[in-house]
Amino acid sequence: MAEIIFGSNTMQLLIALILVSTFMILGSTRLYSCIRDFGIQSFLLACVAGTVAFSTGKDEIYIIAVLTILFKSIVIPYFLLYIIREIKVKKEVELYVKISPSLIIGGMLVVISYYLIRSINVISELSSFALSASVSLVSIGLFIMISRKKAIMQMLGILIMENGLFLGAISLTNGMPLLVELGIFFDVLIAVLIMGILIFRINKTFESIDTDLLKTLIG
Amino acid sequence: MISALVSVIFQIIIILALSPLLSGIIKKTKAFFQIRKGPSIFQPYYDVAKLLRKDSVISQNVSWIFHAAPIISFAAVMTAGLLIPIFITRLPLGFAGDLIAVVYLFALARFFTALASLDAGSSFGGMGGSREMFVAAMVEPALMLSIFAVALNVGSTNLSYISQTVSGLGIDALSPYQILAFVALFIIAIAETGRIPVDNPSTHLELTMIHEAMILEYSGKQLAIVELGAMVKQLLVFSLLANIFFPWGIASREAGIVTIVLALVVYIIKIFMIGIAMAVVETSTAKWRLFRLPDLLSISLMFSFLALVSFIIVKGG
Repeated sequence: MAEIIFGSNTMQLLIALILVSTFMILGSTRLYSCIRDFGIQSFLLACVAGTVAFSTGKDEIYIIAVLTILFKSIVIPYFLLYIIREIKVKKEVELYVKISPSLIIGGMLVVISYYLIRSINVISELSSFALSASVSLVSIGLFIMISRKKAIMQMLGILIMENGLFLGAISLTNGMPLLVELGIFFDVLIAVLIMGILIFRINKTFESIDTDLLKTLIG
Repeated sequence: MISALVSVIFQIIIILALSPLLSGIIKKTKAFFQIRKGPSIFQPYYDVAKLLRKDSVISQNVSWIFHAAPIISFAAVMTAGLLIPIFITRLPLGFAGDLIAVVYLFALARFFTALASLDAGSSFGGMGGSREMFVAAMVEPALMLSIFAVALNVGSTNLSYISQTVSGLGIDALSPYQILAFVALFIIAIAETGRIPVDNPSTHLELTMIHEAMILEYSGKQLAIVELGAMVKQLLVFSLLANIFFPWGIASREAGIVTIVLALVVYIIKIFMIGIAMAVVETSTAKWRLFRLPDLLSISLMFSFLALVSFIIVKGG
């Protein structure tokens, strides 16, 4: 595996900022700011892809970076905002776990993923940082899905998990083949569309997108 | 090259002279954003000078703590000022304490202010004191963690050494842990200086005030000392921010006079920039409910924690 020589410092910075944006999602109580932070996170991810492209000289990774900006930091956030506007949902995140405990659990998840990654023998320090960041993104995304009541936040959780996978893939392999990436993008886009439609249906049936209500039976 | 004694005296004079000006500039910036004219930037000097000419009205029920607290707090803050590099590194008193000493000198000042607020027996004072301690209990671990992240990176807890090393690194100092620790310390600076999401410095509304409630019983000369102490603390917290994270331009004590004067000018610019940034933050946010403050401070705690963790991951501790 070729080590990324150029901008190893830049990469560290970007990855740390991605972690920061994840914690901003975890720490905010407004749906709008959660979605905005997700957009920022995706933009930073695109910057990571751009850095990898620059240092490896593979042109197709630039395409991936541009697609990431286009879809994940523009189209998907606007789609989420559209959903929020259309179903006139209350603009606060409802929580099962309060903000401060969530943040502490998020921090613990970062440490746990670091120790998990340390047991794998990764060659360079950079990819160990990137890999532990990506595993913590996946676990924090999962935690957001568990601990938030609104269906939109669960959608956001799965998107954060997907971002984590993307980060891991791009930092370990120095860019997957273009075809695979395109397939993943298509998958994500369709998944977001389907989840959006699902949220509309949930809202229509229950007059709310609180997933608590899904547990009660309707005869 | 200036001698040890001269540099200590010079540093004290600079701290005392600049801190009211900083307060004035923050107030003026806030007034600008609220489309008011606002008081002159020299108003804090006039306030302190006027208060110093007045006699104090003191309750008959107070003990010696009430008299001693302003002086002890002020002395503690000024001592911290001698340990923090302001515009020259390698301070002559740098051997006497490192950043842990600075943190706990601030804690000492806060402890005595809170104690004095309880002493007079007014209900507002007790409320202010308990709130201040509530905030302090969350600020302190975050402050320690974030400074530790920087200290680990540099390899020393001596503040002069930290700013010298970081300024020697140049642009390489812009590492992720440094930035995370900076964000954490910025949030802490808001809480430490009693700025808006945490405390409103310009209010006397009994439900919201923290610092003002504690010093409600003071008047005259004692109030002047308390107010000046708060301004000096604000200046020192900002200097900590400036000289740990952006120490570029700071001069060593052995440098020539021209370099030192230049360092002083750069320092003043940096401090005012931070003050203006703080004023922008203050005008663009609303004051938070007291019981939401743990959220804000746990965000800061989390940032400093992330700084430590990412340092350990990257450097493979």
